Amino acid sequence: MSTTRHDLDVLTAGERASEFVKLLAPYILVIPGLAFVLGVLGYAVVGGVGLSLNETDMFLNQTFVGLKNYVSIFEDPRFQSSLWKTIVFVVSSIALGIVMSMVFALTLYHVGFGRRFFRGLSLVPYFVSGIAAAVMFRFIFTTSGGFVNYILESFGLPAPSWLGDPILAFIVAVLANCWFMVPFATLILLGGLQTIDRDIYEAAKLDGATGLKTFFRITLPLIKPMMGVSLIWVSYISFSTFDIILALTAGGPLRATELISVYMYEIAFLQLDFGQGSVLMVVLLTFNTVLSLVYLKFFVLNDRRYKTAT
Amino acid sequence: MRERGGLIDGLHYRLGRSVLIGVPLAILVIWTTIPIVWAVLASFKDPLEIYESNTLLPANPSLDAYKTVLSMRGFDQWLFNSVFVTVVATIVPLAISILAAYGFSRYAFRFRHILLLLYLVPRIIPRVSLIVPLNNLMSDLGLVNTYWVLFITYTASAIPLATWILVGFFGSIPKEIEESATIDGANMWNRLRRVILPIAWPGVVTAGVLCIREAWNEFAFVLALINETDMRTLPYQLYMLKDSMGVQDYAVYNAFTILTVLPLLIVYLLLERRVVDSIVSGAVK
Repeated sequence: MSTTRHDLDVLTAGERASEFVKLLAPYILVIPGLAFVLGVLGYAVVGGVGLSLNETDMFLNQTFVGLKNYVSIFEDPRFQSSLWKTIVFVVSSIALGIVMSMVFALTLYHVGFGRRFFRGLSLVPYFVSGIAAAVMFRFIFTTSGGFVNYILESFGLPAPSWLGDPILAFIVAVLANCWFMVPFATLILLGGLQTIDRDIYEAAKLDGATGLKTFFRITLPLIKPMMGVSLIWVSYISFSTFDIILALTAGGPLRATELISVYMYEIAFLQLDFGQGSVLMVVLLTFNTVLSLVYLKFFVLNDRRYKTAT
Repeated sequence: MRERGGLIDGLHYRLGRSVLIGVPLAILVIWTTIPIVWAVLASFKDPLEIYESNTLLPANPSLDAYKTVLSMRGFDQWLFNSVFVTVVATIVPLAISILAAYGFSRYAFRFRHILLLLYLVPRIIPRVSLIVPLNNLMSDLGLVNTYWVLFITYTASAIPLATWILVGFFGSIPKEIEESATIDGANMWNRLRRVILPIAWPGVVTAGVLCIREAWNEFAFVLALINETDMRTLPYQLYMLKDSMGVQDYAVYNAFTILTVLPLLIVYLLLERRVVDSIVSGAVK
């Protein structure tokens, strides 16, 4: 280091170069990844907003039309209905998904034997592609030859046409979505449970707290940040569900499962209207970002431990 | 008397407890495995047998469906595409993310915070929302229907995830360990290779497995950016199977599904411990 050269306070050219490199090193390390992230993802977001303000004609010429695409999309009854379906889909997926994740996490936390095995098993659906998950769910719920109707029939119950009925198909779509997203949320919550000091439960028991009370008063507040992370995950997945719907119901029957993402694909890639397709992209992006920020604010950043840690 | 009450209470408690754990555990196992098990069973059945819903297990288990899939025209090509794209889209983002994570966790520099934010914000952007502008961009660049378009888009979407995981792992390594290596004269490259990577290896493995998962299972980008049959990946072809098979052969359909899922599940099984530990410890978010 230059401190050993106390007879000269002028750095040699080589040393100056090495100081310069040291100063630049972090930027050099960070820039390649940034180029990809900004060049592809950043460009796509900005480009998409740009596209949404333009009209593309059949020769792919673009003319600036301002908010015209937004107006026509928001007046489109098919969009309005897909927006409502998306909201119902996301809300019911989050509600069911979080309850399931919490129950599974508590189960994995308390299970007395084969803990590692069950944990490993519980994450398996996370590694199954959305398309494969959808195909598997189709075969579980097919009218003849499906597992669910096999069980129903063996109890003498009626075997409905799950994917032919709008409401039932919607429910199957929510279930398939949950199957795919619950495992990751479960392990995040399990991680939260494992950070809780067991002494706290002992103390609560001595104070006469019952199971449910302990859960709501002690467990839940203590795993708030992990709850926030799980919520971000399940709503992110539910908003962007696309492959599962496309392969499970293709938006049907009678457009019952035509979520915004599916409608966007149809407008942009089948009707080739990039302008209106991009409006839907902006809608999806806005919803997801706002929701994520809300969770971050209420669950993660407001948490006392996070505040003391930073 | 109190003792006996305590014992009976204890028995009740333990019985109640095992029901309380046993029932949800059974639901967890059934819920997790049934879709896969059902597909496996169906793949061994006779195509006609699947329509008759009065069988659970295949009457005459046969591998015919798997033979049909493996001899499908194009299967080798789709498998190759999936493997090739996955390998590149794992190694490249992992290398880039290791450098970036090292930069973020070991240097204090101007704009560090905002640059880190730029890396992480894309994680909440739904991938499917980007397909319209990306299709536009890649058509302009003439990259549609090439491996490049998949390398580029998969790498870009894997980097934020991998960097985030690795920053956590690198940041938890005490600086003193590295400083002692500096005194021994190791340059940055050697410190990264000899000190940081061995210690943070579980993190690198986890990030790698998650990159593999993203690339192997990706659907929205490949659907939007590839339209030649020979360039499809396995999930894309699985999706197209719905339209391309005139009469539905459910056994073949299920066998195809299993074959697309199996390679990734094997990778997961081999590295399950590291991946599960990383997620439970909160290193993957």
